[in-house]
Amino acid sequence: METIVEFINYTLQNSGYIWTQFYRHFLMAAYGVLFAAIFSIPLGILIARYGRLSSWVLAVGSMIQTIPALGAMAVLMIFMGLGTNTAIVTLMLYSILPITQNTYVGIKDVDQTVIEAGYASGMTRFQLLRMVELPLAISVIMAGLRTALVIGIGIAAIGAFVGAGGLGAIILTGTNATNGTAIILAGAVPTAVMAIVADLILGGIERKLQPANNN
Amino acid sequence: MKEKTTKLLLIAVVLVMLTGCTLPGLASGGKDTIKISSLATSESEILAEMLSIMIERNTEARTELVSKLGSSIVQHQGMERGDIDISATRYTGTDIAGALGMDPIKDPEKALKTVKEKFPERFDQTWAPSYGFENSYSVAVTKEFAEENNIENVSDLEPYADELRFGVDNAWVNRKGDGYDGFQETYFSFGDVFPMDTGLVYEAAASGHMDVVLAYSSDGRIKDFDLKVLEDNEQFFPPYDASPVIANDTLEKYPEIKTITEKLSGQITTEKMQELNFNAAVEHVNPRKVARQFLENNNYFEDAAKEEN
Repeated sequence: METIVEFINYTLQNSGYIWTQFYRHFLMAAYGVLFAAIFSIPLGILIARYGRLSSWVLAVGSMIQTIPALGAMAVLMIFMGLGTNTAIVTLMLYSILPITQNTYVGIKDVDQTVIEAGYASGMTRFQLLRMVELPLAISVIMAGLRTALVIGIGIAAIGAFVGAGGLGAIILTGTNATNGTAIILAGAVPTAVMAIVADLILGGIERKLQPANNN
Repeated sequence: MKEKTTKLLLIAVVLVMLTGCTLPGLASGGKDTIKISSLATSESEILAEMLSIMIERNTEARTELVSKLGSSIVQHQGMERGDIDISATRYTGTDIAGALGMDPIKDPEKALKTVKEKFPERFDQTWAPSYGFENSYSVAVTKEFAEENNIENVSDLEPYADELRFGVDNAWVNRKGDGYDGFQETYFSFGDVFPMDTGLVYEAAASGHMDVVLAYSSDGRIKDFDLKVLEDNEQFFPPYDASPVIANDTLEKYPEIKTITEKLSGQITTEKMQELNFNAAVEHVNPRKVARQFLENNNYFEDAAKEEN
């Protein structure tokens, strides 16, 4: 109980600081997912077209996923130095698999008869992709972005170890302070809230984008 | 056509990453940003905030803090790479062994002279005058334990050492020179050694989870938790006077920084630092607030205002 009171007090007294770190934390996660999406979505489309590549690409993605994030960040730090960019590249690595995989599945699952109908009506490959496949797959792709962002928000918390700041820095302040539970909570609770809210919002968008709801 | 666009985008992204351009919303670089690093200790963060406040008041530059770094070596490597322009706290003893790779120097003045000479020579960095306090490693036990067993200095622990649990800072254990290896050569080995976050050792000793801990002499919690600092009777630990270290190209661009470090030099005694650390680490005041209060109480802002007029 005392801890909760202390947590609320700390949060109120340092609201500006916590908000700055919250914003920074979110931006790191969002940039990571955004940059991953820029090449993971085309990659997913590519491997859906050329099926033989898919098992290789997805295997590499899974392999990246098994590396502990702190280890990956430490290795990247050697090449990229300290700061937010290192954290963002790490986040990017962990976003590749969910986005690529969902894009792949989404495109693969488009009904073959629909594609044939489009092809028969004289659509080019690009038109087919833009007007048929992507609209039908978009909700599955969004589900991938959503997974990636939630994972990313979690991983961004360890960005503090490479000097990137974020809510992880508040958690570390708490572990270094005496009876710092309240400070740890002031970093951990917003992280959890951010992940849940991001999940809900992207979940909502995902449902909106489902082809069945588009009428 | 699609592949080409993708490729171009990919190249653009990689370039942004590698050149360390500023991403909107995340200040990470930029020409007029001075990056100040701090360790994960409250002391380092408070001093980094002080430098940040003073630099932003007295120069055109903006500052960014690179905080929570694991050790002085990480700060040093960051400066060598150019990820950091100023290290807020560097300690003579630590860097003579770490960055310079030399044997420990026991005389405080000689140690300070050595780093002041070697850093410009070898790294093109300036070791500024000391803040005025020293943050030495010190071996501490609970007062109770000391009284029961009549312990005054580190050597007095030797008969009990095999059964004692020793709680130490993560970075110290593997350090060459003034680390645990050297400690064992000068003194003795402990039964069990537990490396942990530096902030945890005080509580660990007070609560009885650890019997002996390696404390920081400038930490206010030594007093708070009723610990007794044992005399380093073999003079194993070298002096650790604290100073900021600044990259020379940053100093050339902003000569005002030299004035700032001179104004701060000698102003923070070990007792004062204990007090400031206590505010941040025990009373949970934000380091920036602690720094601002110190500067206000010591009339740093008035000076600056006068000079401006």
